[in-house]
Amino acid sequence: MWSANCWRGGPVSELDRIGVAVVDGTEDGRSGHVAALLREIESLLRSLVERDEGGSIDLRSLPLTENDLVQLEEALGEGEVAAQVDSLGFSRVWETAVSGVWWVSHENEEGEVIGEFIEVTYCPEILITPTEDVKESWQALRARLLESEYGKTMGDAHGGD
Amino acid sequence: MLMAETDTLLDLLRRRGVSRRGFLKFCAATASMLALPPSMAPAIAEALGKARRPSVIWLSFQECTGCTESLTRSHSPTLENLIFSAISLDYHETLQAAAGTAAEAAREEAMKNNRGKYLVIVDGSVPMGDGGVYSTVAGKSNIEILKETAAGAAAIVCVGTCSSYGGIPYAQPNPTGAVPVSEIITDKPIVKVPGCPPIPVVITGVLAHYLTFKSLPDLDELGRPLAFFGETIHDRCYRRPFYDQGKFAKSFDDEGARNGWCLFELGCKGPTTHNACATTKWNQGTSFPVESGHGCLGCSEPNFWDAGSFYKAVSVPTEPTRIVAGVAAAAGVAAGAAMAVHNRRKKAVAAAGHQKASVEDLEKKS
Repeated sequence: MWSANCWRGGPVSELDRIGVAVVDGTEDGRSGHVAALLREIESLLRSLVERDEGGSIDLRSLPLTENDLVQLEEALGEGEVAAQVDSLGFSRVWETAVSGVWWVSHENEEGEVIGEFIEVTYCPEILITPTEDVKESWQALRARLLESEYGKTMGDAHGGD
Repeated sequence: MLMAETDTLLDLLRRRGVSRRGFLKFCAATASMLALPPSMAPAIAEALGKARRPSVIWLSFQECTGCTESLTRSHSPTLENLIFSAISLDYHETLQAAAGTAAEAAREEAMKNNRGKYLVIVDGSVPMGDGGVYSTVAGKSNIEILKETAAGAAAIVCVGTCSSYGGIPYAQPNPTGAVPVSEIITDKPIVKVPGCPPIPVVITGVLAHYLTFKSLPDLDELGRPLAFFGETIHDRCYRRPFYDQGKFAKSFDDEGARNGWCLFELGCKGPTTHNACATTKWNQGTSFPVESGHGCLGCSEPNFWDAGSFYKAVSVPTEPTRIVAGVAAAAGVAAGAAMAVHNRRKKAVAAAGHQKASVEDLEKKS
């Protein structure tokens, strides 16, 4: 399983080559927002348990430092599910050690993170196969089979159309 | 761009091999870009999926084409050009294949076929001096073209500081009598997306908002979309903690500069500049000017070119910085706002005097 940390960086790490030290001004590079975030996540989890209503948090809308993200990752840990969606660039999705709390990171084809969310849900939407896709694939597979030698028996068994 | 008039954005993307999951991801990123709650993503997917491609007429007046470059030089495929390809760009002097009479005919046809529904994007200021003779296209002055095209438009999007506030052509002594679009067109909704150039994703963010909600986004008092211009560069600057601690670079090669301290004393206009550079960044998210060691120039604010030297006027207060900044550090955001007001006032004074930068300013060898 890949570690969450190794995904971060991307083009920004190119700055290391410039002779300017980019130092975070806070003492430990942490803004103190993570504690508030954890409380919000707890509240969303409670809502998921009691009302079957989760929610998401847009991490990019918050003034988080790199160290904040590391702190949040450490606080939530890594769970037993990790997935990757390959569509318009990769989307990395993993369940944290806190069941029901998922980390979803969308990248474009350049590897730039274009969206990063904490989703509190039983399964993130991006992993669920869209209904229209299932209908289309069923029709496509059915058409393929009907054209093939299996088609006759299939048509007999189901009345054909 | 041969596509059926009835094509929706989803049809278009599907034909390009974008899956429904990809589209959902695109919408999640769009919600994030527009500062909407992530729970809006499915609603955006629903609305954007059904959106018809609007006709867009792009008018270029007194400008350098930097705004178009900003948008079209984004690496493919990005969120920006996915949205950009979702519009029917019927007229753009630099990008269209047609030239001469055929080009002008394309504009007239788009205006006729989509009257009351098309969007007009303008980059560049409009020269009013000497009857508008300083910038003409196909024998017509920019003023004529703007008035003629705006008459049937649903709304106008001013892209770049020149069309929004006059920009560099408007700077003293303004030899062409340049004015922003809003001084000529007063009866149409106008959204201003300033910046020199503006951030590409901000341009497309306005288009995405229009496609999704069929309306223009909420604007600040200067006509800019709040989602992108609601905060200052300073508010979201990663060097902000140094400002709060009173740690400033005093020259571009001192210990403070090497330590990445705040560039306030070197003329950074971050505290008075509303834009999204510190969060969206530039060059595929690589960095923004402050991150490269140079202060913000304030290019998305009106009259930025006349607001004094980039290296001193606004940002090097007459009072020692440590006193003003010390107060800011003690009282937090409210005092930061006081500093911004203080600087805005100084900016007005500097604008009147039109201070210029010297080599000494650049080298800080006083």
